[in-house]
Amino acid sequence: MLPTAHLTNKDRLIKGSRLFVRIALIVNRAFFFGVIAMLVVSIILSTRFVPLLIPTTSAADLPSALTGLRLLMLVGLAMAVATEIVLRTLAQIITSAGAGDPFIAANARRLQTIGWALLGLQLLAIPCALLDKFCPALGSAAPGASFSPGGWLAVLMVFVLSRVFAAGSTMRDELEGTV
Amino acid sequence: MPIAIKLDEVLDRRRMSLTELSEAVDITLANLSILKTGKARAIRFSTLEAICTTLHCQPGDILVLAEEVED
Repeated sequence: MLPTAHLTNKDRLIKGSRLFVRIALIVNRAFFFGVIAMLVVSIILSTRFVPLLIPTTSAADLPSALTGLRLLMLVGLAMAVATEIVLRTLAQIITSAGAGDPFIAANARRLQTIGWALLGLQLLAIPCALLDKFCPALGSAAPGASFSPGGWLAVLMVFVLSRVFAAGSTMRDELEGTV
Repeated sequence: MPIAIKLDEVLDRRRMSLTELSEAVDITLANLSILKTGKARAIRFSTLEAICTTLHCQPGDILVLAEEVED
């Protein structure tokens, strides 16, 4: 009874994770194209674009706010690209886990890719903090400067897991040749 | 590979096929073929014990250093 229940739970987990990643990919792509659309609109409407997002901006702050918003949108695009890398790579790992063969060298490389993408996401907090500090015209649209220890811990964990998977795949290769 | 597998010779002496050995030691034919062709990277003590018990031989009859084979 127990192994069957365990397998069912495992299948559910894999299916659930696959669905979650698929939805997250759709949301992330919608966000990416939404930001691109806003960037295009900001170029077409120029300073008239700012009051659409920050109604409280004074006329004198419009050029500075427009630059700030465009930079913020570029940061958003970079975040979407990094998130796309994380999600697509995670989907590949989930597929290999679903096939019952997760301890492969490719997954160690995939985890390393996720680690670099997560590191990139963490580092994007720097331009956000700079925008927060040097572009007061952004007002309520300012991204806010926050340090996230959990994010850095996740980066570290993923890199360590990548090493664990590399060692695991080597051990599995050894075991495969054992009769 | 410095270790050579002489399973074929021992099987010949015992007039036993690989399939019969596979059934006797409860190891898949595929795995025994890997062992026989020298493609295995390692052999479990339990496998070696089962093969030797079935074929009434010593581990040294099956596993031989390649130099000895050349001699």
